[in-house]
Amino acid sequence: MGGERYRSALEQADDRIVAGRAMDGDVAAFAVLVRRYTPMMRAYTQRMLNASSEVDDIVQESFVTAWQRFSDLDDPAKVKSWLMRIVSRKAVDRIRALRPTVDVDDVEQSAPLRSSPDRVVEARAGLEALGVALQELPASQRECWVLREMGGYSYDEIAQELDISVSTARGLLARARKYMIVRMEAWR
Amino acid sequence: MTDGQGPGDLHLLGLEPDDLDGHTLDELTDYLEAGRQPRDPSIEGSAGCQLALDALQRLRGLGGQLIDADAAAMPEVEESWVDRILDGIALDARAGRRIPFAADADGADFAITEGAVRGLVRSAENAVDGLLVGSTHLRGDVSVVGSPIRLEVEASAFYGARIPDAVARLRTEIAERLRHHTELNVVSIDITVSDIQQIDTWAKGTR
Repeated sequence: MGGERYRSALEQADDRIVAGRAMDGDVAAFAVLVRRYTPMMRAYTQRMLNASSEVDDIVQESFVTAWQRFSDLDDPAKVKSWLMRIVSRKAVDRIRALRPTVDVDDVEQSAPLRSSPDRVVEARAGLEALGVALQELPASQRECWVLREMGGYSYDEIAQELDISVSTARGLLARARKYMIVRMEAWR
Repeated sequence: MTDGQGPGDLHLLGLEPDDLDGHTLDELTDYLEAGRQPRDPSIEGSAGCQLALDALQRLRGLGGQLIDADAAAMPEVEESWVDRILDGIALDARAGRRIPFAADADGADFAITEGAVRGLVRSAENAVDGLLVGSTHLRGDVSVVGSPIRLEVEASAFYGARIPDAVARLRTEIAERLRHHTELNVVSIDITVSDIQQIDTWAKGTR
């Protein structure tokens, strides 16, 4: 196989093959994973922190951890969700370092209903509204919502990650959903 | 739950327990996620609950769509970023087990790492058109010289390649390379093709 064709094959190979090689120590395959999942890991971290200044540090640390702990990955085909779990954990660690306790009594913000939906292309409108609403949420509600709706965490897992009770996690999520519904309705 | 502390607009949209005939948004979320089963007449019969369920339904799955859209809008990954990460990883972290060679007359102790053997196995693909090697497993006690080792190799075949021929060629190449570079007592080489992929530069068009 020629070099170009080989590189192309590796870039296009499915996760099972690429992660399988990376786990075995193939740096070129690991680089493919870095290229493939950096955008999603950056996006997730940015939503989680609602800021971008530390995103790259967190994503970089996550990849370094992944490389060290590849033995923990049972099924290379599941490398994407495994990487997302790692970056999620790193983001939560960073949040915890900045804010040692989860403020469950965050004051809910009232929706500033001054958006101009006309500017927003119809197909993207819902997502843009959601993105804005997410940015407006109090930190603890946003973290719960990102873990649940973007990270696929169960209520029990969210409680464990954020060191809060399951009923607190449920309460924060209910408030987050309520706020987002209100905010989304404004775009309809 | 800390319902009921929201600002005025929340009441307008009717998401408080009073609007939901005594049900809560948390409860309705569970009900929706359970596929509205078992059917709850007090929820299904409440106009307020139906409105809230519709709103929750619209919200559903949007988180996944948003993260996908965010990721798609991210700037292209720069090679300098990839290099920065690769610079930060410890290459020996994936070295695996130590595989000794038989001691020579002077009693000198040589060994190769499992990672290096896996690299040898992967390199065999360079001599074979149509296969890309995935993970490699060495089954057996590699730390004891001469113990029988079963090699398991996963591979992806390119669309259009004759798989049996390519697999046979790969097996021969792997055996030769291991024989040349190691003293492993390889008793079997099992190759599993787990995927068939289209490669743009290999088979154009039909993807």
